[in-house]
Amino acid sequence: MNTFSWLIRREFWENKAIWIVPASVGGLLLLTSLFGKVDIDSMTTTPDIHAVGGMMLFAFGILFFVVMSLYSTWYLMDCLYADRKDRSVLFWKSLPVSDTATVLSKLAMALIVIPLVYFIAADITTLLIAFIISARASALIGGALWHLDLWLKLQELWLYLLVTTTIWYLPVAAWLLLVSAWAKRAVMLWSVLPPVALILAGRWILGSDSLALLLSNRLFTGYGTTAFTGHLGGALAVLSDGGGSSVVQGSVWPLLNPIGFFSSPATWGGAAVGIAFVAGAIQLRLRRSEAS
Amino acid sequence: MTALIEARDLTKKYGSHVALDRATFNVEAGRIVGLIGPNGAGKTSALRAILGLTAYQGQLRVLGREPFRERAVLMQDACFIADVAVLPSWLRVDQAIDFCAGVHPRFRRDRARAFLAKTQITPKQRMRELSKGMKTQVHLALTMAIDAKLLVLDEPTLGLDLLARRSFYDALVNDYMDESRTIFLTTHQVEEVENLLTDVMFIDKGRIVLNSSLEDMATRYAAVSVTADRLDAVRAERPFFERRTLGKTMVYFEGADLNRLAEFGEVHTPSVSDLFVAKFSGEAL
Repeated sequence: MNTFSWLIRREFWENKAIWIVPASVGGLLLLTSLFGKVDIDSMTTTPDIHAVGGMMLFAFGILFFVVMSLYSTWYLMDCLYADRKDRSVLFWKSLPVSDTATVLSKLAMALIVIPLVYFIAADITTLLIAFIISARASALIGGALWHLDLWLKLQELWLYLLVTTTIWYLPVAAWLLLVSAWAKRAVMLWSVLPPVALILAGRWILGSDSLALLLSNRLFTGYGTTAFTGHLGGALAVLSDGGGSSVVQGSVWPLLNPIGFFSSPATWGGAAVGIAFVAGAIQLRLRRSEAS
Repeated sequence: MTALIEARDLTKKYGSHVALDRATFNVEAGRIVGLIGPNGAGKTSALRAILGLTAYQGQLRVLGREPFRERAVLMQDACFIADVAVLPSWLRVDQAIDFCAGVHPRFRRDRARAFLAKTQITPKQRMRELSKGMKTQVHLALTMAIDAKLLVLDEPTLGLDLLARRSFYDALVNDYMDESRTIFLTTHQVEEVENLLTDVMFIDKGRIVLNSSLEDMATRYAAVSVTADRLDAVRAERPFFERRTLGKTMVYFEGADLNRLAEFGEVHTPSVSDLFVAKFSGEAL
């Protein structure tokens, strides 16, 4: 376990972007909230303001989430390739650290540590923004944008998102890890090419789009429909539902579908494929000591 | 005393190319063994196999372990420097020490610090800020801080200038080597290491063609410098190589009677580099 914590520390040394990127996103949003135009003249009632506040916090959270997904994708493609390219893998392999531990540390970074960093960054940012805007807005209309109950509800939503996306996107993450451990160059191309080739082969040879549907379901639509009662967009719709906002009044739990998610064969089928890819990445890591 | 490294019919193939062809050898504890051969002879493949970096066929035991399956455990007692360029550019000197101390049970932080204190290197410097020679010093400091039984070096001084090469080997011999340690190294620069080695192994086309301690070499190999008029007579003694020098010809023998050879001219024990040249350019003869 001690070795594992050093492996995680090592990743932070190497990839400063892990905290620089979310810190920059948060900083930019803070600047906007400090100097941006606050136009809430049209809103007169407290529920109105809370609805706008909720929308805003939600949108900021989503922004962090999107940036995180892009960064994690890049991280996964790079993590088992970069040290083979600069040959520093030979230094890491001269230490008593198993390849299994190395590969699992990279996976843990992408699926747990990096999301947690973004989660914390998003929390700090949204808290500060809520206070700043409340302070600025109250000078205008005397109402408070900050609403503890709303903020806590969003925390529930983010935590749920964190846990479920980790499981749902495990096969995707593990695939990128596999390519990162295998490719001799052009990791990005090799990440995309085989799935595209499979889709085209399915279409031309079998005359079926089922593979394409399976992949697009895994990448885009499937998560929302499996983990939520409506679409993921449903949450947004409810949050923006003007004065009678059900999120402000009620709970976020009616939107979520944990039972459906955890009992879905798609969830566990995907996880099984993911575990197989991780095992493959470990085997490749054992054998490949150089990129060329 | 069992051997530290035992290889039996060690074979490594890349497709149809045979990099190691049933290589069989032992490395005993307390020795400094040089694995020497031309480019593409299989040196790196042999080291890779010994360090558990690659799968192989045949039998191989290093410190009683099977390297490929047990690399992580093996690295508690063995360490290696692949070549100078392998420390990652983003790594800071103090981070390198912290990481090694964190994951290696036999790493002694004070030793690494003491070694680095003798250099110009400061803890906050990153590898990318260091010259090749300084990077080698960092790597050597990290390696010497490990209480390992076996140190493997793969072309450790490649790309270094003469001073850095000299100080690398000086540190190795003076500060590191003792009876409890074994060094196994490959290099092109035969001249540089021949005073250091206790044993040499020549490898060619994946096979071990010579494996001898330096003491045994003196009795096994001989070189006689003969004048042109005695050349035909000496050739009857079946030399395996001859090389023309100023006015005389150097003729090399394996397992010959030294007293008999003395009749033809002055007899020497060939140096490792002479023998290397003799063995590897001698195929035409």
